[in-house]
Amino acid sequence: MSSRRSRSRQSAASMITDDQINDLVSKLHQLLPEIRNRCSDKVSATRVLQETCSYIRSLHREVDDLSERLSELLDNTDSTQASIIRSLLMQ
Amino acid sequence: MSASQQLTPTNPNSALKIRLAYRFLLTLNTLNAKKPPNFDHTQIHRRSHRVKIAAYASMASVVGPKRAWSRAILWKIRNRGMLARNKKRIHRISTPIRLHRHHARRRRNPNRVVHVDPFVNSGLEVKLRKLVPGAETIDPCGLLDETADYIKYLATQVEVMRNLVDLYSTI
Repeated sequence: MSSRRSRSRQSAASMITDDQINDLVSKLHQLLPEIRNRCSDKVSATRVLQETCSYIRSLHREVDDLSERLSELLDNTDSTQASIIRSLLMQ
Repeated sequence: MSASQQLTPTNPNSALKIRLAYRFLLTLNTLNAKKPPNFDHTQIHRRSHRVKIAAYASMASVVGPKRAWSRAILWKIRNRGMLARNKKRIHRISTPIRLHRHHARRRRNPNRVVHVDPFVNSGLEVKLRKLVPGAETIDPCGLLDETADYIKYLATQVEVMRNLVDLYSTI
């Protein structure tokens, strides 16, 4: 397309190529846990982005859940054991 | 012998996990030192909220100011008192735009015409900008990059917390 050719002559700071976008989308796609198991060649960008959104939401929910469990466990743990763990890690 | 000498990570992911875990435990330590032990139900909810803030804060401070999402998280946490007070007011201070002044300059460039749009359906872009912190004023290309980085650190942080929960529940 002629628009793409003229765009390549623009300044380097504003150049966004199709390859760059595809690289980023595939990089994102590599990070997602579900699509990795299936056929990973022909995944549309829309699907990758949808999976990304749902994955981020599930990660947020998991952080909430884990922080709740962690706060309960931190109360119940014996303080001497916690200080032992802490001193082991602070060496 | 320090702990960093004992652990020799073979791949960058485990090195990242170690850094995140160390920072998270450090933050939790300072958090636990302050609070008095109590078993009230409202306090339990507040404690879990503080653990959550510690998780995000430690994750963002490991990255530092290099990334837009880490800057946004640190800003939000440091100013959460002010944000809670301003929530009741009608007008909100648009400070995320103040932080990304260099991005705003880029957007005013008259030569820049975005022909390539990865977000064919723009509804997804809006959702993504809401989910990733500090992503409201980034160009679409940088948004994908920030998302990938954010997912990487967030997934590792979740793994660290899971391991901690396992560790504490078996002791």
